[in-house]
Amino acid sequence: MKYPSAPKREHLGLFLAILGLILLCPLRSEAYAGPGAGFAVLSSFWTLFIAFLYSVYAFLTWPFRHLLRSLRRRKAYGKAQIKRAVILGFDGMDPELAARFIAEGKLPNLAKLQEQGSFRKLRTTFPAISPVAWSTFMTGVNPGKHNIYDFLGRDLKNYLPFLSSAEIRAPKRNFKIGKYTIPLGKPVIKGMRRGTPFWHWLGKSGIFCSVIRVPVTFPPEKFPGVLLSGMCVPDLKGSQGTFCLCTTRQSCDKFREGGVRVPIQRNGSALHSYIPGPEDPLAGNSGGELRVDFEIRPDNGKNQARMTVDSEKFNLKVGEYSPWVPVKFKAGLGFSARGICRFYLKELSPEVEVYVTPVNIDPGRPDLPISHPVTYSIYLAKLFGPYATLGLAEDTWALNEEVLDDGAFLTQCYANHQDRERMLFDALDKTRQGLCACVFDTTDRVQHMFWRYLEEDHPAARGVPHAERPKVIEDLYSRMDGLIGRVMKQIDEETLLLIVSDHGFKSFARCVNLNAWLHQNGYLALKSGKTESGDWFEDVDWSRTRAYTMGLNGLYLNVKGREGEGIVPAGSDGEALKQELRTKLNGLVDPASGRVGITGVFDCDAIYAGPYVDNAPDLIVGYGEGFRASWDSVMGKVTGQIFEDNLKAWSGDHCVDPRLVPGVLFSNRKIAEEKPGIVDVAPTILKLFGLELPAHFDGKPLTVSTEPAG
Amino acid sequence: MLVVLISIVIGFLMVVVFRYTSDQKAIRIAKDQLKAHLLAVRLFQDQLPVVLSSYGRIVRGTGRYLQLAFRPLLFVIFPLTLLVVQLDRYLGWTGLPTGEPFLIKAQAADSDVLNTIDLRLPPGLETTAPAVHVPTENAIVWRVVAHEPGNYNVNVGPSEKAFSKRVSVSHGLERISPVRLRGGFWERMLLSAEPALPTDSPIRSIEVGYPSRSIPFIGFEWNWIWLFFVLSLLAGFLFKSMLGIEI
Repeated sequence: MKYPSAPKREHLGLFLAILGLILLCPLRSEAYAGPGAGFAVLSSFWTLFIAFLYSVYAFLTWPFRHLLRSLRRRKAYGKAQIKRAVILGFDGMDPELAARFIAEGKLPNLAKLQEQGSFRKLRTTFPAISPVAWSTFMTGVNPGKHNIYDFLGRDLKNYLPFLSSAEIRAPKRNFKIGKYTIPLGKPVIKGMRRGTPFWHWLGKSGIFCSVIRVPVTFPPEKFPGVLLSGMCVPDLKGSQGTFCLCTTRQSCDKFREGGVRVPIQRNGSALHSYIPGPEDPLAGNSGGELRVDFEIRPDNGKNQARMTVDSEKFNLKVGEYSPWVPVKFKAGLGFSARGICRFYLKELSPEVEVYVTPVNIDPGRPDLPISHPVTYSIYLAKLFGPYATLGLAEDTWALNEEVLDDGAFLTQCYANHQDRERMLFDALDKTRQGLCACVFDTTDRVQHMFWRYLEEDHPAARGVPHAERPKVIEDLYSRMDGLIGRVMKQIDEETLLLIVSDHGFKSFARCVNLNAWLHQNGYLALKSGKTESGDWFEDVDWSRTRAYTMGLNGLYLNVKGREGEGIVPAGSDGEALKQELRTKLNGLVDPASGRVGITGVFDCDAIYAGPYVDNAPDLIVGYGEGFRASWDSVMGKVTGQIFEDNLKAWSGDHCVDPRLVPGVLFSNRKIAEEKPGIVDVAPTILKLFGLELPAHFDGKPLTVSTEPAG
Repeated sequence: MLVVLISIVIGFLMVVVFRYTSDQKAIRIAKDQLKAHLLAVRLFQDQLPVVLSSYGRIVRGTGRYLQLAFRPLLFVIFPLTLLVVQLDRYLGWTGLPTGEPFLIKAQAADSDVLNTIDLRLPPGLETTAPAVHVPTENAIVWRVVAHEPGNYNVNVGPSEKAFSKRVSVSHGLERISPVRLRGGFWERMLLSAEPALPTDSPIRSIEVGYPSRSIPFIGFEWNWIWLFFVLSLLAGFLFKSMLGIEI
C-alpha cells in the first residue's frame, strides 16, 4: 500500500488562510461551518484529547514507573555485556549456499560479518523441522522438554493427525434456538509447546523485547514485551492455509492439499463466485460453511475485471494481485468472522480463473489473538496497513498444484517479506534497548519451491535448459544480504547482531514412502484384499501392524496399551523391534539411483530427555541427501512403490538427516565455539544480558567477544 | 422540528459532499496512523524516547488529518455559510413582542451629525423615552414600544435625508434583519438582510434590538446554531456509518 506523499505547500497555505478566516474572525452564524468542520475539529480534538489525557497519566505516574524501571534495569542491565540484541531469523538459510555466494562476492554484508565477526554452521534439532528447531531456539531445550516433534502429532486413539503446536476447540457448551446452536463462550486455544521462551526471562528482568513472527508462538503468551505470532497461526478456516481457485473450467479434480476449487457462474455480463470460509458456528454439528460472494465483471478490452467483494470494489488486471481485501463471513444473529485475502486474476478469456489466498485473520480486527498484547497486531495494521497473518503465509501449495506460476508465487512471497521488513525496522526503532527478534520465512519457502533450478537433473525441472533457469535462490540470498546491510546501518556498537537459521537445505528429488517399505517388509498390514491405503491409514489393519509413519520424520511402533489398537508389547519387545527397524532402514538404497535413501535412524529414547518424551515418535528417520518422506507417506498413505521421483515444485527440503542440514550463525562479534547449536542461542542471550541461566536448559552459552567487531 | 429536519438533511448532504470531495484513502491512512501512534504510546510506555517521538507523530498526524479533513470544507464553506446566514435570518431572532420596549440604535459617521439625527416612527410604534446620545460611540439610542403586530419601516437620519429600517413585530417565523449597514459587503452579507445605506450617508448603521430565539429541545433551551451543530453532527456520523464513508 502506498502512503500519500506530503501535502503541497500551496494547499497548506489556502487551508490556513481559510481556517484563519473562519476560526479567527468568527461572526455569529459562520462560527460553525457545518458538519464537515465539526467532524474534523471533533475527531482531531478527540485524538489530541486522548493523547493529552495519556500524557497527564504518564507524567503523574512517571516518577514511580521510572523508579521501578531503574531498579529493575539496574538489576537487569547491571551485568549486561550488551545494550541490545538483534536476532534475524532466516528460516532455512543454508550455510553451504551462503558460503558459496560469499565466495562468489554476492553477499558483501554477510562477508563483512564473517570477516569481522563470526560465521558458523549451527547444529539443528532432531528432526530438522522448523517448529521443532525454532521451539528449541526459543526455549534452549531439546524437544523432550518442549514437546514439539513435527508439524503433526498423532491421536493415539485413532491414529489421526493433529496440529502439534496448538489446539483450537469450539466452546463446550451451547444452547439451541430454533435452527441456531449458540456457542456459550469463546473458542479454547491451547498452546502445545512447552518450555519458556527466553524473552520471558528477559522481560521479567525489565529488558524490553520485540518478537516478530518467530514460529510456534501461537497462541501468543503473555510476557512483558510485544510479540506477533508466526508459523502455526491458522487461517480463518482453522487450517494452515486453504487457498481457493475460482474457475469457469469444469473439473472434478480435488487438490491434494491446501486448496479448494470453486465454480464461477456466468450470469449475463457478470460472473459470480464465492470464497469458502469457516464453518458456521451456529450450525452446530450439522456443519455448513460460511461464504462471501463476489462478482467479476470482465473488461476484455483492457484485460482486466471489475471485482466487487462485499462493499469493496476494485479493478484487477490479469496477472495482478489485489491489495488485501477485508471479507466478513456472516453467520446470522449478528455473529460474523472477519478476515482478509488477496485476489489474483489468472485468466479472463476464454475461461475465467481467480486465485484467492487463504483467508487470513484480520490483524486490525483479530477474531483470534495473534499478538501479545492484542493491540500489537492492531498497531502494526494501523501503521502499515493489513498484512499476512497466516503462519505459512506464502502459498506453497498453490504453486505445487500449479494454480500459481513461479512469478505469481514470488510476487506473493516478496510482498509478505516487504511487510515483515517494515515491522522489523519499526521494532528496531522502538527497541533501542533490549531484544529485537524477527524471523523471515521467505528463505525457507523460496528454497523449498525453487531448488529444482539449482540442480541439473532435478525431476521437477527436467527439460528446462540451463540458460532458462531463473537464479531465484541466488537472488533470494542477495536480497537477504541487502536487508542485513540495512540493519547493520541501524545498529550501534553496543548491539549484538545474530543471523540465525533453524536448518539448512538439500535437494528433494526422490520420495521415500516409508509406509510402503513397512508394508512390503511385513511391519504394516493392509485389510484383506487391499494393496494400497487411503490417507491417514484408511485401510490399515492395525491388528497386524507393528510400525507406521506419518508426518515428516517420525516412525512409530504400534505399542500395546499406548496406541488404540496397539499390538507390540512395550519393553524389551518394543526395543528389539526398534533395533530391527534401525538396522534394516539405515543405509536403505534407492535401487533406481543406487544412492542411500536413509543415512540414519535415531532412537528417540537416546536423543531426547524430558517430561514429554512419551509424546515423541519412537524413531526419527534421517533421509539421505536428495531424499525425503513421500507426499503420500507424510499423510499416512501406503502405496505400491517405495521410491519415486518428486515432480512437484516443492523441490528442496530439510526434513532429512539433521546432520546434513545445519543452519547458519552469523554474528557481528567473535564467537569462540566452532560447533554451536541452535539450542545454545537462548542461554547465550540470557548470559549476555547478565541473567542467571535456568537449570533445565540443555544449551550452553556461547563465548561471545565483548568487544565490538571491526 | 424545522431545525431537526434541516440538520438531518444538511448532515446527510455534508457526508456525501465529504465523500466525493475528500481523499478517502488518505484520510483512512492518516487516521490509522494516528491510532497507531496512540497505541505506540501505550505499547512502549516505558521507553521515553519512543513515547516522546510518538507524541510528536501524533501532533504531526493530527495536522495532516485536519488538512485532509478541511479540504472538503473548501468546497462547501461558501454555499453552506450563505445557507446558514439565511437560516439565521429566520431562526436566529424572534420578532419583537408588542407592549415590550426595545432599542433602536443609529451609529453616525462622525459626532458632528449626531444632533441632526432623529427618529420618525410610523403609527403603531412610539418612543417611551428621550433619545440617548453616546458621543464616544457616535451613536444615538431610542427606546421604542410596539402596540400592534406588523412589519414597520422606521426612518432615521437628518430631516432632509432619512433612511428607513424595517422593524418586525411578530410571534411567527419572520425573515429578520437586525441591522442595516452602510458598507462592508461581507459584514452586510453575514449580518444584514436589507439594502445597504448609501456610502455618503451620515449614518453607518441602524440596529434594532431583536431578542434571540431559543428553541426548546429535549428539556433544554437551545440557540439554533448549537442545536444545528449537535444534530447535524449526529446525523453526519450516523450517515457516514451507514454509507461507509471515512471521516
